[in-house]
Amino acid sequence: MSAQKKRNFKIEAFKHRVELDPNYAERTWRVLEHAIHEIYNHNASGLSFEELYRNAYNMVLHKYGEKLYSGLVNTMTGHLKEIARSIEAAQGGFFLEELNVKWGDHNKALQMIRDILMYMDRTFVPSNHKTPVHELGLNLWRDNIIHSSKIQTRLLDMLLDLIHRERTGEVINRGLMRNITKMLMDLGSSVYQEDFEKPFLGVSASFYSVESQQLIECCDCGEYLRKAERRLNEEIERVSHYLDVKSEVKITSVVEGEMIANHMQRLVHMENSGLVSMLVDDKYEDLSRMYNLFRRVPDGLSTIKDVMTSHLRETGKQLVSDPEKLKDPVDFVQHLLDEKDKYDKIIRKAFNNDKTFQNALNSSFEYFINLNNRSPEFISLYVDDKLRKGLKGVSEEDVEVVLDKVMMLFRYLQEKDVFEKYYKQHLAKRLLSGKSVSDDTERSMIVKLKTECGYQFTSKLEGMFTDMKTSIDTMQGFYSSQYSEIGDGPTLAVQVLTTGSWPTQPSAPCNLPAEILVICEKFRTFYLGTHTGRRLTWQTNMGTADIKATFGKGQKHELNVSTYQMCILMLYNSTDQLTYREIEQATEIAPSDLKRCLQSLACVKGKNVLRKEPMSKDIAEDDAFYFNDKFMSKFFKVKIGTVAAQKESEPEKQETRQRVEEDRKPQIEAAIVRIMKSRRVLDHNTIVTEVTSQLQSRFLPNPVIIKKRIESLIEREFLERDKADRKLYRYLA
Amino acid sequence: MASRRGRIRFNVGGKIFETTATTLANAGRHSMLGALLDDSWNPRQPVEGEAADAEYFIDRNPACFAVLLDLLRTGELHVPPNMPEKLLNREALFYGLLDQVRAARWGPFDGNRLQLVDSVSGRAPGDGTAIRAGPDGGCCVAHGSMVHVYDWMLEEHRPISLDYQQVNDVGYIDAESIVISARERLGKGDGGMGVFSSSTGELRHRFRVSHDNQVKSFTAGALSLGSSDYKIFASCKGRCNEYGIGVWDQITGQQVDFFYEPPGCSLGDADKLQWLDGDKCLMVATLFPRTDNCFIGLLDFRDKSVNWSWSDAGTSVSLSLDEKRVLHAIAIEDSRSICVVNQYDDLGFIDLRSNAGGVRWSSRSKLTNRKAPNEESCYPKLATHNGQLFSSMNDGISVFCGPEWVLTSTLRRSYGGSICDFSIGGDRLFALHSEENVFDVWETPPSLTI
Repeated sequence: MSAQKKRNFKIEAFKHRVELDPNYAERTWRVLEHAIHEIYNHNASGLSFEELYRNAYNMVLHKYGEKLYSGLVNTMTGHLKEIARSIEAAQGGFFLEELNVKWGDHNKALQMIRDILMYMDRTFVPSNHKTPVHELGLNLWRDNIIHSSKIQTRLLDMLLDLIHRERTGEVINRGLMRNITKMLMDLGSSVYQEDFEKPFLGVSASFYSVESQQLIECCDCGEYLRKAERRLNEEIERVSHYLDVKSEVKITSVVEGEMIANHMQRLVHMENSGLVSMLVDDKYEDLSRMYNLFRRVPDGLSTIKDVMTSHLRETGKQLVSDPEKLKDPVDFVQHLLDEKDKYDKIIRKAFNNDKTFQNALNSSFEYFINLNNRSPEFISLYVDDKLRKGLKGVSEEDVEVVLDKVMMLFRYLQEKDVFEKYYKQHLAKRLLSGKSVSDDTERSMIVKLKTECGYQFTSKLEGMFTDMKTSIDTMQGFYSSQYSEIGDGPTLAVQVLTTGSWPTQPSAPCNLPAEILVICEKFRTFYLGTHTGRRLTWQTNMGTADIKATFGKGQKHELNVSTYQMCILMLYNSTDQLTYREIEQATEIAPSDLKRCLQSLACVKGKNVLRKEPMSKDIAEDDAFYFNDKFMSKFFKVKIGTVAAQKESEPEKQETRQRVEEDRKPQIEAAIVRIMKSRRVLDHNTIVTEVTSQLQSRFLPNPVIIKKRIESLIEREFLERDKADRKLYRYLA
Repeated sequence: MASRRGRIRFNVGGKIFETTATTLANAGRHSMLGALLDDSWNPRQPVEGEAADAEYFIDRNPACFAVLLDLLRTGELHVPPNMPEKLLNREALFYGLLDQVRAARWGPFDGNRLQLVDSVSGRAPGDGTAIRAGPDGGCCVAHGSMVHVYDWMLEEHRPISLDYQQVNDVGYIDAESIVISARERLGKGDGGMGVFSSSTGELRHRFRVSHDNQVKSFTAGALSLGSSDYKIFASCKGRCNEYGIGVWDQITGQQVDFFYEPPGCSLGDADKLQWLDGDKCLMVATLFPRTDNCFIGLLDFRDKSVNWSWSDAGTSVSLSLDEKRVLHAIAIEDSRSICVVNQYDDLGFIDLRSNAGGVRWSSRSKLTNRKAPNEESCYPKLATHNGQLFSSMNDGISVFCGPEWVLTSTLRRSYGGSICDFSIGGDRLFALHSEENVFDVWETPPSLTI
């Protein structure tokens, strides 16, 4: 070429070559422009890629990149304007179809144009900070088609109309919808958001606002929630079919806001169908739906929880203060357990085992169980009932289940020491009367109490079991050593109880019949012979006896009676008539006990081995009692119970209370001393908090009592008040 | 189109090549060959029998095509000795295979396996200020008021000229953008910092500093580009004693923060800034102060506090000849220490965990002191990369490895004078010599495929 000749004019060489073919750039561009036209006209089969690529390459190489790039922009813009016209011309429903087809064409063309201009894309575009070809094609489509005034609003209206139609039950072309929304997403998230998503969310909000208003007027709560759930699922499904994944959160929050959050209070408190009636009727499905829907909105769950809690507290309060229920402790506790079961099941089945709901349930129970200060007694009575007879023939696992449930109630108790008192009494009765169903069950209950409250709580209870066991051994020893001497006298079964472990009431000993006294003395000598330094006291108020009796027509019965009753009946071996005063003198039984014994011997139908003059329900001090030789019974063995309320009588209750209060004093003092020993100096309020937290597992100490204990400790010089600050206490070692 | 059994025939500049579709797939869709074979450019399905004769004509150099085709087949690059690299690179660019060529050229950086691959002579007369490696294997060299830019093929681009402002430091934001900090000239209101295009040398953006909402001119010194949070740090000296560290956003170019110099810590004169990703703080080292003592500190920008600092204040009272003076410093986050070097090329370490610790010197100078008495020496420099420590001394660079920093390799070229600066980046090491204005390029050979 001529460039070769001019080689020595180095500076000129570059200029010269351009001059050589001034039309080079224009000619090459014409070729490429023609190719772009052909590509848009679906006529690309005649084009040679290699030639076009080479031409584009050469243009960039010869510094015509700018011309190539601006040429591309102009040509593509021209085509897009034409496409816009044909889309605008599309009628009615064909509008979206046409848009979709043209979008497909444009993408294909864009791909091919990018192939041709690949070299420009790689070199010219980055170094000149231009938009890459693909992105340029999308931007031009956006500016010329989507943002064209005649298309933009029409497109949006059609999309929103289609969605509205689908919401009202029509079937629409979801594939087309998907393609169009995909196009908007491809054009950039801002295009999708501004040109579609925002208006879509706005329209949806007003749609659901109107719908929820209509529904709440005519539906009950359950039905409304069903409809809301269906709408929610529809929207989620819509997103998965033809919207951007990121829209899901936004549209569901619109539905949630309009359909749930705005009507939350009204739904929960809806008459006859709201949360309370769902709870009452165990509507698990509705409750579960409510939980799942409300979970989605702020404060939703706390709304449910608050209503549930107040309902629970209200019903619980009624339950524990209902005088009818209080008559039967077993029934009372059973009601509590049933209530707990019911809510446990609701939380498990409908509320996803939500921890916060469980906590609300627990705190509600704790609240109302402790409203009634007899709860500890009743729970112990319930256990007593179950362990006496209720669990007969029940499998071991079921027993465990019952005990576990009781333990759960036990946990709610604030006055656990009161429970302990009662439990001890009841256990003692069971053990001594041999009424306990199963030793294993008893022990299992003790283990549960131990794990819950620690060793101290149960050490005395365990001591009671040990006593029972050693007593059996002792009796065996007694009979094997003295068998020959005893002969035909009454059989004695002694339970040696350790003082302190058992809840013994100091009772005035009664006069035992002579037959019994003999063998009792023998046992005393035997026992003290093996265990020196001990003291035995007979607890005649706690024993039982089996005696044989022969009545008028020669019928024989075995009577199962208490020790007191035995003493009374034994008197009739020598006479047929005794007055109250005579009996009292002979036996020296305390009047209240004696009256009860006589009542059960003379006034219970079918068990009246004695006859009273005059006939009346109550025992008076000038009554006379006769041996009832007309006594009849179908049974050979007759059990004569003691007329005694299982439940404690009012004075007994006061007594137990008082004893509990007495027992608490040393515990509180011990806690104070423990705390002060380690802290040395402390102010009053801190002591109270610390003591309360230390004793919480047993009972809730009253601050006034704590204060009294502190004062008592100051008197006894364990503590002193600080001289400068009267609120401070000092530990005196 | 693919013929029977996936064979494809090319006619490149008159020479016939046959290969398979599988081999060509290695070129990728976004290459010239990928597009050439794409269905959209080959609409007609070839009729059996006829297809065997179909061939693609490409009007290019056949010898280069052979090399590139071999690269696609094997993943290795073997350039015949008579083929200029420029030619091959040009052809690779045409086919869109330049990235593959670059990837086959050299392997991941390993200080102990470096080979000298090139020495590039610059146009400027000696005394370069700084050399910086770019992220893609290119580099730039600052001389006076000029910055010469080389791409990874070591082609020189249009140099960046700053109209007689002295360049203090340079750094790459990305392969396309270079930040330059320059000294302010009295009475001109220029200087400061700017972003320049590495391919065209154009100024893209100027960074501004404002104090009390007033834009002020300033002299920018050392630079540090925080990689994780896209920030640029620079030591700044304003006319009215507005000394401190300025912070800008790499993306918006706006000033986001300014750390004013607290008393006793010279920040505006700092010679070395290093952003510590783990601690989220900036190491500042001022080693040639105007008046005060040498100072190294860690700055926390969140609460504008100096977390940790060290100074030679105590030791410089009697600066005798034997006194060891810290000349360069680099923080090694992994070992929680700052490595320093003195005029005898001794390495020293300062523990970052204690605030009052001194320098623990290692006595390397006794072992390797080979300083020629009359040779003009440069200040030593330090760098770290992937747990390896690099230290320049005279005309060589020492590589240290392991927890005890054992000397494992030495990189040396016998002429060009001592090394005034070096930089590691884009899996390459560039070392700039002070006397001849020549820089060496070291890279790790690609690992052998067995």
